[in-house]
Amino acid sequence: MTYFRFASLIHFARCAVVLCAVNLGTVILCPVTVHADPLTPDELKFFEINIRPVLVKECYGCHSNNAGNVRGGLRLDTKELTHIGGSRGPAIVPGDLDGSLLYNAITHQDFVMPPKRKLPDNVIEDFRKWIEMGAPDPRETDIAEIQTTITDDDIKMAREKFWAYKKPIQADPPAVANADWPRTDIDRFILSKLERSELRPAEDAEAFKVLRRLCFDLVGLPPTPEQIEDFAQQWKVSPDRAIEALVDQMLAKTQFGERWGRHWLDVARYAESTGREVNVTYPHAWRYRDYVIDSFNADKPFDQFVQEQIAGDLLPAKTDEDWSENLVATTFLAMGPKNVNEANRVQFAADVIDEQIDATTRVFLGMSVACARCHDHKFDAIPQTDYYALAGVFRNMTTYFGNPPSEFGTFATAQAKRTSSLIRLPIDDPNPFDKRYSSQELAALKKQIVDTQNAAAGDRRQAMAFGDQQALIRNRLRSQNELSQLSAKLAVVDENGNPHSYCMGVQEQSPPQNARLLVRGEIDQAAQIIERGFPKVLCSTPVNIDSSKSGRLDFARWIGSEENPLTARVMVNRVWQHLMGQGIVASTENFGVTGQAPSHPELLDYLAVRFIDSGWSVKSLVRDIATSRVYRMESTFNERNHEYDPDNALVWRGNPRRLDAEAIRDAMLFVSGEIEFEKPRGSEVAKAGYSIVRDGVLGDPRETIRRTRESAGQGMREAMAQRMRSGGRPDGGPVGGGFALGGFRGRPMAGGMSMSSPQDLFRKIQSQLDMEDATFRSVYLPIVRDEVPRSLEVFDFADASSIIGTRESSNTANQALYMMNNPFVIRQSDSFAQRIAKESKRPADQLEYAFVLAYGRPPNSVERTATASFWRSFASSSQHSNGEALSALCQSLFASAEFRLID
Amino acid sequence: MFSRRQLLQSVSAGFGYLAFAGMSSAEEQAASNPLASKSPHFPARAKRVIFLCMQGGPSHVDTFDYKPQLTKDHGKSGKYGGSLLKSPWEFQQHGESGLWISDLFPNVASHADELTLIRSMQCDQPVHPGAMTQMHTGTAQFIRPSLGAWTLYGLGTENESLPGFVSLSPPAGSSRNYGSSFLPAIYGGSKVGSGGPSARFARGGSGESVPDIKNPRLDESQQRKQLDLIQSLNREKMRRDRFQPDVEGVIESYELAFRMQDAMPELMDTSKESASTLALYGADGGPTENFGKQCLLARRFVEAGVRFVEVTHGNWDQHANLSNDHQARADACDQPIAGLLQDLKQRDMLKDTLVIWGGEFGRTPAAQGGDGRNHNNKGYTTWMAGGGVKGGFSYGATDEHGYEAVENKCHIHDWHATILHLLGLDHTELTYRYAGRDFRLTDVHGNVMTDILA
Repeated sequence: MTYFRFASLIHFARCAVVLCAVNLGTVILCPVTVHADPLTPDELKFFEINIRPVLVKECYGCHSNNAGNVRGGLRLDTKELTHIGGSRGPAIVPGDLDGSLLYNAITHQDFVMPPKRKLPDNVIEDFRKWIEMGAPDPRETDIAEIQTTITDDDIKMAREKFWAYKKPIQADPPAVANADWPRTDIDRFILSKLERSELRPAEDAEAFKVLRRLCFDLVGLPPTPEQIEDFAQQWKVSPDRAIEALVDQMLAKTQFGERWGRHWLDVARYAESTGREVNVTYPHAWRYRDYVIDSFNADKPFDQFVQEQIAGDLLPAKTDEDWSENLVATTFLAMGPKNVNEANRVQFAADVIDEQIDATTRVFLGMSVACARCHDHKFDAIPQTDYYALAGVFRNMTTYFGNPPSEFGTFATAQAKRTSSLIRLPIDDPNPFDKRYSSQELAALKKQIVDTQNAAAGDRRQAMAFGDQQALIRNRLRSQNELSQLSAKLAVVDENGNPHSYCMGVQEQSPPQNARLLVRGEIDQAAQIIERGFPKVLCSTPVNIDSSKSGRLDFARWIGSEENPLTARVMVNRVWQHLMGQGIVASTENFGVTGQAPSHPELLDYLAVRFIDSGWSVKSLVRDIATSRVYRMESTFNERNHEYDPDNALVWRGNPRRLDAEAIRDAMLFVSGEIEFEKPRGSEVAKAGYSIVRDGVLGDPRETIRRTRESAGQGMREAMAQRMRSGGRPDGGPVGGGFALGGFRGRPMAGGMSMSSPQDLFRKIQSQLDMEDATFRSVYLPIVRDEVPRSLEVFDFADASSIIGTRESSNTANQALYMMNNPFVIRQSDSFAQRIAKESKRPADQLEYAFVLAYGRPPNSVERTATASFWRSFASSSQHSNGEALSALCQSLFASAEFRLID
Repeated sequence: MFSRRQLLQSVSAGFGYLAFAGMSSAEEQAASNPLASKSPHFPARAKRVIFLCMQGGPSHVDTFDYKPQLTKDHGKSGKYGGSLLKSPWEFQQHGESGLWISDLFPNVASHADELTLIRSMQCDQPVHPGAMTQMHTGTAQFIRPSLGAWTLYGLGTENESLPGFVSLSPPAGSSRNYGSSFLPAIYGGSKVGSGGPSARFARGGSGESVPDIKNPRLDESQQRKQLDLIQSLNREKMRRDRFQPDVEGVIESYELAFRMQDAMPELMDTSKESASTLALYGADGGPTENFGKQCLLARRFVEAGVRFVEVTHGNWDQHANLSNDHQARADACDQPIAGLLQDLKQRDMLKDTLVIWGGEFGRTPAAQGGDGRNHNNKGYTTWMAGGGVKGGFSYGATDEHGYEAVENKCHIHDWHATILHLLGLDHTELTYRYAGRDFRLTDVHGNVMTDILA
């Protein structure tokens, strides 16, 4: 294999995607590959006589390693370096004059080379011929051989000595002195360690606290008043059975998948855009989100879940639906952050593979193999050769993350230089917002593209005739942007104007190629070829990859199996963390030498083996932990224990925790009664389509204004209708004493601004991605990298560009401002107030109902006094109505610490 | 210093209660307010800090560490492999002191006589997250309070209506770098700007400065009544839970937020700054606009009494495209930084404001891919200005090519010790008792670099 092959594979995968028929009678996209043949004598002669002397004489002075001068990072010494090019892109793309910047420069288009004069026409003609004949070039790079400093013995030693590399062994649960306390084996492991340190486990928490914990932990929502009453009754009979029954109930709800799916989306760095310098949307990423939620709800065996995400495209599928699901799963590999502004496509390809290796190994194995891209891993026994063995596995696929080419091709722009296609799904299930075009619209769209192309060509001729370099570049940038947008619209529909169904993901290339080790990870420093393989330190038996296969399917099956020591441990540790507040291994994504050692290694192994034995059932694992005695311990502070173990590593009490951003927002919606449980299809990003996100605005701001106006009109019509229904009374409700409601005008807009005011429209556009009006669950909010909705961002949402197993949990003034002043919070407070006013006319009952809804318990006497005092002072001095006073009270319940903490 | 228990008491029964009950007087608050201004251990040279954090690792050999031998040995093999790469930029001597500074920072260079270059920096971490965290907290291994949080804990602040520690536009996922860890939450940095569509502030002159800074419905007295209710619920929870740092943090955050509502919009509104001031910072347009605006805000914050302000300027990580991208990064911050120094000087604030410039590490003298450099934590440069440091002074040195510090090494612990010293705090005395042990920013390390003190 030569470097040229690598480069051209990537190139063709990107640009020359064609439709070809495959099995199951449908059509998907697959790449065409080309082969590099040895040079013919004629080709060699042509190069040596017509090309090499010109390069040496005219170019090497400024663009050569040997000359020590590499202006613009461009080196023309060897074939590989020439194809890699400099900071502006490849100098030569075989067979592609437009893509070859060297040709662009010698013909004085966007670049002017040599700088002071133009080469003779016959020389330029020679270069044209040479590029068109495939740029045959005998100048191979000298290949270095890099020796790793990590020996096989080192690896063997690490495998035998380091806990995480040894396979989990199920130990018998230890005997404990206090034999009455444990309910499950989990309790025995925990208690035994506490007893050895002479610490006592905390008492059981009160029933309502355990219930609140269970509800938030399992479905991310607070309990209802009915649940609270039922649970309290059952708890009196048997706490064990009360918990078991509730856990089973919660596990069966679709909200379970929405809760636990979101935990997975954190580690999977789920997002709907590329992030980085130029933020391009992924309008089909939402399919992966739904796939994850559905998988958790179906209790899909975790080993299968793993395999689908790494190699779903290669797994056998019985039906088109299954096949679609498997393809969508591979979105995992395609949705990482990307620098689409990267000029150098070889660098881009290497970076994409690196990101895929990093995500795959850290997410599934809790180890960072990507450290070995540039050198042997400094701490773990992962030689650089292991990285390139894995790079060999990952490089034999094409990653689809962009938008398909139209019949006019794909148009890169100055910002989004790296384009990509998508995978056609074998089922008919288009993006819900994709537009259908009539035949007239279709024809008009095509004509617009042709006209733009013609106009661009005309401009170009004119600018060249006048030698106007600036105009040339300006025109080109503008027409490329226009063409890119037009082509993106045309590309996603069939010849009748009906939208196709697409997903992001990966597809295999063949025949498989090994990767070369790159010295210091630099793309132009290729060393020896490395056989495809897996990290040796994790393989107790050597793996053999079929020479006709990439090995990716084997890798997926190996990760999703008990053959490697980490997958099960890493997952059970995460589940433990989400239920208990901190992991047995605190560094949830680092099980390597620099990670934290497990606080309870035997328990970790016990859970891992049990997880595997259960058929990798996440729900069983959750049930095991949630029904343990440990889970229901109260979180009360104990000075002596705290001095001994301030981090609660031994689990002597329940960890008090702050709810995450989604649970806080969802709980407000749930308590206010506004929550919409029906899952929205697609997402705001799918609605906007393939586009660049600028200043937090998706797609075309004019479109946003139009939509906002429409929905504002809708909202006002609804408000009017409601007023009519309530008999035309301006305040729309019965007036009672005490806390009763009396002042809502329809659904008041925060600040009393009318919806169509320019400020409000401006705010809407600026905060389009905040989606303050949405009432669906938070997991369905749009996740554009670096542009996360405020309701999530303010409460430490996981950075969508990183693999986050453990979120931060802060208390900031910013959060206080959000709870005090944000229009969404105020609107939910209004609805909450209306709800309790509807429930009862008696102030005391209203207050009790409000507390039960918000905190799962009635108010105590101190709280009753405080609220009464608030009511007196607020209502007496207020120009506000009772309704607004009640809303302010409800908002206080949302805002207080108890609402966002679970004890 | 306060013990945790005293603090808890003061928060739950003292400062908070007084504020809500409307019976507060300045003296009473000062007695119990954890943010109240406190006396340093010894007379301080610097009263406040502006930390210009250059995230990504700017190359010292291309900015402030002049290496003529590197130019001479260009193309030769470096001592750790790779071929040495001379700086694409020329160095000149500046000011009366004749400090060598590269052409990347022509405007900063015009203040050469105010700068102390520390050319012998070292940290233990070769990768970004670890090095950033060590630069901010002293350790990458554990979660510990940040430099700003320690400063605030030691000195309190001079304006209770503003956070005492502000981090402007910190990078995503970096809250640990301005967090308070086990110190009371009130000492953590408040993030202002960046992160999310509604939190932008660097664009547009006036308008909403901090998201949700104003209640659309309630006036101040109404909101105070609402807040009193929120806080009584919180205090009641605190009473039940006895020890609950999260509740404590929530209580503090509301009081601060309430006061910020008045103070922040005015402070963030730069529309009344004169055209010449905006131009001084480069905040009037072009590539300097964003960072210029932030430097201007930094000045406005410290002027208003904020103790510690951090401003981040990112993307210095040039493994490739060094010559273009380092130039672009420098172009965006050179004028703003120079403007800040100039402005502080003309307001007579530079004498007691410590300005710190630096990244988490430097870059290798050897080339990466022809036009790039790798991370280098063994030797790099930071600088300080104002607040009690010498001007026109160079401290420490790296080897002939700039690989590692060889003379007067300044480990990040020494750097921290010196910063605290300039603020009048003894780094060995500034301790906090947590879980039965006294913790400090410098752990068991740190030597004050007395040579750089003016």
